[in-house]
Parts: sequence; C-alpha cells; structure tokens
Amino acid sequence: MNGDTLIEVRDLHKYYGKHEVLRGIDTQICQGEVVAIIGPSGCGKSTFLRSLNLLEPPTKGQVIFEGNDITAPGTDVDKIRQKIGMVFQQFNLFANMNIRDNITLAPVKLGIMTKEQAEKRALELLERVGLPDKAEAYPAMLSGGQKQRIAIARALAMNPDVMLFDEPTSALDPEMVGEVLGIMKELARDGMTMVVVTHEMGFAREVASRVMFINEGLIQEENTPQEFFEHPKNARLQEFLSKVL
Amino acid sequence: MQAFIEDFRLNFIEDGRYKYILQGLGNTLIISLLAVLVGIAIGFLVAIIRSNHDKTGHMKVANALCKIYLTVVRGTPTMIQLLIIYYVIFATVNVPKIVVAFVAFGLNSGAYVAEIVRSGIMAVDQGQFEAGRSLGLNYKQTMRYIVMPQAFKNVLPALGNEFIVLLKETSISGYIGLTDLTHGGDIIRGITYSPLLPLLAVAIIYLILVMGLSYCMGRLERRLRTNER
Repeated sequence: MNGDTLIEVRDLHKYYGKHEVLRGIDTQICQGEVVAIIGPSGCGKSTFLRSLNLLEPPTKGQVIFEGNDITAPGTDVDKIRQKIGMVFQQFNLFANMNIRDNITLAPVKLGIMTKEQAEKRALELLERVGLPDKAEAYPAMLSGGQKQRIAIARALAMNPDVMLFDEPTSALDPEMVGEVLGIMKELARDGMTMVVVTHEMGFAREVASRVMFINEGLIQEENTPQEFFEHPKNARLQEFLSKVL
Repeated sequence: MQAFIEDFRLNFIEDGRYKYILQGLGNTLIISLLAVLVGIAIGFLVAIIRSNHDKTGHMKVANALCKIYLTVVRGTPTMIQLLIIYYVIFATVNVPKIVVAFVAFGLNSGAYVAEIVRSGIMAVDQGQFEAGRSLGLNYKQTMRYIVMPQAFKNVLPALGNEFIVLLKETSISGYIGLTDLTHGGDIIRGITYSPLLPLLAVAIIYLILVMGLSYCMGRLERRLRTNER
C-alpha cells in the first residue's frame, strides 16, 4: 500500500478575497493509495482537490508532484496535468463531439498518440467501462451514469499516474451510483492512485486505504477506514458521522 | 392597370433605368459581403482578446484598446462613422468609395459581432473549459477545440440577426455619394418624380435578400445542431 510519495502537499493555503478556504494543509499521497476525502459542504474539500492539479492555484504553500514543485513559477502546468486525471461532479464531457472524439482529443492533440492508436485505446477503454457501443454517440444522448463512466475513460486515455475524483456520484440518480463506483473500485484494485472527494461513506469504508476529514480548511482527522469510522476522535467528525451514517 | 404599366415603363424600362437598381444591388451586395467578413474578423479577434483577459487576466493593454473601440463604435451613429471615415480619415487619399463603405460598415459591425461572440463564449459552461485544461490541453487548444465550436453554435442566431441589420444599414451609403440599392432607387425617383415603384422595388429586393440570408442561417444552424441529440 505504501509505495513512493507521489504527491506531497506543504502548508497549502487558499484565499478567495478575504475568505480563507484552505488554512494550511499538509499531507502526502503515496503510489497506489486510495484516499477518500469527506467533510461538510463548503469546507474546502473540492478546493483542496482542485489545487492538486492547479485548477485552483494555491495562494500559499507547495504541491510537489513526483518530486517537482509544481507551484513554483515557470512550471509547465499543462505538462503536469497530462499525468493527473480528473473526473468532475458534472461530468463535463465535451458537448460538441462524440464519445470517441471526447476520449481521443487530448492524446492526439498533445501528440502522445497517433489518431489510430488513440482510437484503438478509446475502444479498449469503452470496453473497460462497459460502453463499447457508445463511440459514435454524443454526450447529450447518454444517462448521467454513462456520462461519468465515459469521463473516467477520457481521463484514463492520458495514462495518468493519479486520478482525482471530485464528488463523482453526487450528480447521479441513486440507481446509477453503483455503476460508477463499480468502475472506481476496479481502478483501485488495479493499483491506480486515487484521491476521491465523496459523500459515499460505503465506498470510503470499503475501497479507501485512508480516509481524510476536512473541515474549516484543515485536515482535522485522517486514518485507516476502520479506525476512522469505528473510533473517530475529532468531535466535529463524530457529529458529522452521526448525521450521515 | 394601364396606369401601372405606364408607371412601370417610365421608372424601369425607359432609358434602361432598371440599371440603376441593378448597379445599386451589386454595390450593396459587395459592401455587405466584405463588411460581414471584416466584421467577423474584427469581432472574433476582439471577443477572443476580451474573454482571454476575463479568464486569465492577461492582455490588459489590448483589452483596454478593445473596450475603447467598442465604446466609440457602439456609442455613435453609423452614419456619422461613415461620414468621418469618408471626409476625415480617407480625405487625403484616393480610395474608391466602395472601399470606404465596406471598411466603415465592417468596423461598425465588428463591435457588435465582438459582443455577440463574447456572450457566446461566456455562455459555454466553465466545466467544459476546466475539463480541457485538466487533460493537459493549453488555453489556446481548449478554446479552439472545445469552447469556440460551442460558442459559435450558441451565437449563430444573434449573428444572423447582426448580418441582417448590417445589410440594411448599408442603405445609408448614398450619403457618401455611392450608388447602393437605396441610392439607385432614389436616382430613378429624382428623374421620374414617381416615388411609389422605385421605393417598392427597392424594398422588395431588400426583403428578398434578408429572407435568403435568414434561410441560409437557419440551414447552417440546423446542420450544426443535428449531431447533438
């Protein structure tokens, strides 16, 4: 479980104007880990996740990815992001292209694969997420669960070293949550390093190697799922778990 | 009926007067077409600069220049702009009037196209942009492959409307002594002192042009929409 450190976060702060959303986060994410982040709404979970690939540039502090400080000035952020896949709550499939083009756009335009290689890979990935017949479909034709599975395939097409999930099942109908979580479980089993902001306590308990409770811009508790859910120490976490479990 | 035929002969047939209309129609078409192209070029450029500034905070100087351009062009009447460009800016150089006209109308239309396109860019969900960037595409690639195609689709109806306005606005070209469609009709009216038919003919031709334009825009819109659902 504990391979080399993949991402190291040092004293991360984020301000929106005067409001301090992240108030000094320190943590490490190791190769092969599955980290679940839970916490109340508006506490900074998503902001923290989004600062890992600099979609939200931190105000202060450092993010070190594979040994390189990516918050340092002059870093080629685009190059770094190629190695960090991201899945969004709202799927964000490109509405103007079909599923195949959604998946192949980045690898082809970034010169990582030829069109033929990317299309072959796209079909493999569609097979993997259980939607091999949707290559020609457009996002608007798909259900939420299907869209999210495609979004995962699209991120995987870049062969990332880590996958970030920002509440991947929160916008789904209840009966579609399972199909998306199923694919995420498979990914975890295959050894993908994952950071998942989620409200799915079952998933956190079952799949995560570590659970993190973020509240008021700080990591207030982190532990193995067993300890985290059975013996929470932080008072706010106890209150939170009593409400959601 | 006899009177109508006589009137028609007087206004259009005698001395080949229909040629004024034809010549005017030709000029109107040339001015409109070139002005639309100039307007699109300027409009997209300004919209891209402005939204780049809004999204990234870069290009401060260019953005300020664009804002001045938008304020001046949208804040003054088109006719005054046409006259200033003809009598002041091109006063000392010998440029054909038709060039003056399409430059003036193009500069004018560009300001409106710019704001239409910018609204279309802003209407594309921010998530589309973030998804592109999260895959490692840079700002330019994300705009080109993901945001702009969707923005263009969003703004087609408004853009079509702007082209219609532009086509009809060229009817003030007569103020710089250029024989456009309207001016062509006026010349006939000045000769025959019979206003009804020349004005009616001019109006009908504008109407047909606009209907044709609407039809083409509608087809383009449908073609871009079909692959979506």
